Amino acid sequence: MSFALEAEGLTKTYGAVRALDDLTLRIPAGGVFGVLGPNGAGKSTLFRIAMGLVRPSSGVARLSGSPAGHASSLRQVGAMIETPRYPPYLTARDALKMLALQSGARDVDIDGWLDRVGLSGAADRKTSTYSVGMKQRLGLAAVFFTRPTLAILDEPTSGMDPAGIQEIRELIRRLAAEEGATIILASHQLDEVRRVCDRVAILAKGKLVAEGPVETLAGHKPALRLVASPVAQVLELLGEQGALDGPDAVLANIERHEAPPLIRALVNAGVDILEARWREADLESAYLDILQAKEPADAR
Amino acid sequence: MLADAISAERFRLLKDRGTLFWGVLFAPIAGLALNIGGELFARSLMKGAPPIPVDLVGRMVKALAGGASPVVGLFVLILSTAVLAGDYRWETWRLLTPRNGRVNLLLAKLATVAGAVAVSLVLYALAAALGGLFSAATSGGALVPYRGSAGVDLIGTFAVSWLQLMVLVALSAVVGVVTRSTMGALIVGLVFAAVQSILASQLHEPSLKALAIPAFSGDLLKTVLLTPRSVVDEPAPWGLALGFLAAWLAGLSAAALALFQRQDLTRE
Repeated sequence: MSFALEAEGLTKTYGAVRALDDLTLRIPAGGVFGVLGPNGAGKSTLFRIAMGLVRPSSGVARLSGSPAGHASSLRQVGAMIETPRYPPYLTARDALKMLALQSGARDVDIDGWLDRVGLSGAADRKTSTYSVGMKQRLGLAAVFFTRPTLAILDEPTSGMDPAGIQEIRELIRRLAAEEGATIILASHQLDEVRRVCDRVAILAKGKLVAEGPVETLAGHKPALRLVASPVAQVLELLGEQGALDGPDAVLANIERHEAPPLIRALVNAGVDILEARWREADLESAYLDILQAKEPADAR
Repeated sequence: MLADAISAERFRLLKDRGTLFWGVLFAPIAGLALNIGGELFARSLMKGAPPIPVDLVGRMVKALAGGASPVVGLFVLILSTAVLAGDYRWETWRLLTPRNGRVNLLLAKLATVAGAVAVSLVLYALAAALGGLFSAATSGGALVPYRGSAGVDLIGTFAVSWLQLMVLVALSAVVGVVTRSTMGALIVGLVFAAVQSILASQLHEPSLKALAIPAFSGDLLKTVLLTPRSVVDEPAPWGLALGFLAAWLAGLSAAALALFQRQDLTRE
């Protein structure tokens, strides 16, 4: 198995503050990997070390097998660390051109990328006049326009309104699918991580406290909640895959593609279906439980 | 690669009109304005005076010789601090460092400023020549040839002033990296330029201590260049002066690179 990012015994201290504490984490190549954690958990420090912005106090970080921060490894990586900033006198087009020159990328379709992130209408406006959302979108273009094999996105929706968050989330999903890059996404938005990521690591106080597929961490897979009558007939049809969830509802632990035939079968069997809704994995509860479980251990 | 970083920095500077105006164009424009203004003022005071012959090359050499003064230094420092420390101010190092090596990035900035300082000095000399042409045209003064080796004197004074200004640039690079502040780099650079200029004007003997002051070494080199050999009593230690200037530039540049390479860019 190849790894996009590896951290081995990574420690970073700023004076008395331990931002990373002997962190060992392996993020597999491929898919979208989420990194969760409260403020000060060490997410940004991990990424800054990976990108060569910060030197670790001890331990090793590697990007696709090469030492983190080295030119050879960085050439294949695009990163957006926190809210991106640009020299205020540059327009969006100039900013991308400057970054393309800096990367040695001569054949970048800058206009095409501005169009893809919805900024072609504001391409010649100075970035100092941009909203946070526009800066984030330009940042995403800057991450992906050199076609990296790994993209690191550190809180790409921080400071944005719900509509902006939705827009950026869609953009990330689309770019991940179209560009086929491994994406590492740090976010406070648990819903965002649940919707976008395949696997998740949870950091607290610079340590790894949990890691695995979203569904495993959340404790259960998504389930179809059916409010139907009679409930007994639904349970009978589902067998072991069904469970009561209140007096008139059943949770069907099925895959998404199994939902249409199930509903057809229930209707054909004369069951009245009043409501059918997917109940997603509850990452938020799992996240809070994991962090709370960590607290007493620390107190001891 | 370094060439990519230099292309990017040059592109960026050309887009930064404020820095270009104050850091590259203002000194030549002000020089030209002062030349023309001074000419008109002198002419109003000396009505009826005979026209003064104009030596265009001499004016350019004189301008280049004075091109490393603290006043010109101020505008060069505006340029260098904007280029070298601007990324701390705008918090944009995190955008740049993953795309190229740190050494390349800082070397590219130094190279870009070096080029811009050279352009500014050339414009400063051309402004002096334009002022001379204005003087000749308005007063009817004849253009006279330069008494000396024009090429050597022009290139020599240009090179020494450029070297002196680049010492200020390298100092602003070190202070910019350490303080992460454009204002800090500007103020320290300006104080250094003023203090060394005052010290150099107080010292006359080319001792090692005196030669260690960049302004003194620069002045000595220009004096050696522009003084006819027939009037020189004893040879000046020009090699040592040049060595000191080069050592200042190399030492400060190396210090800036070493510090930047080890620096944690947490919040730029």
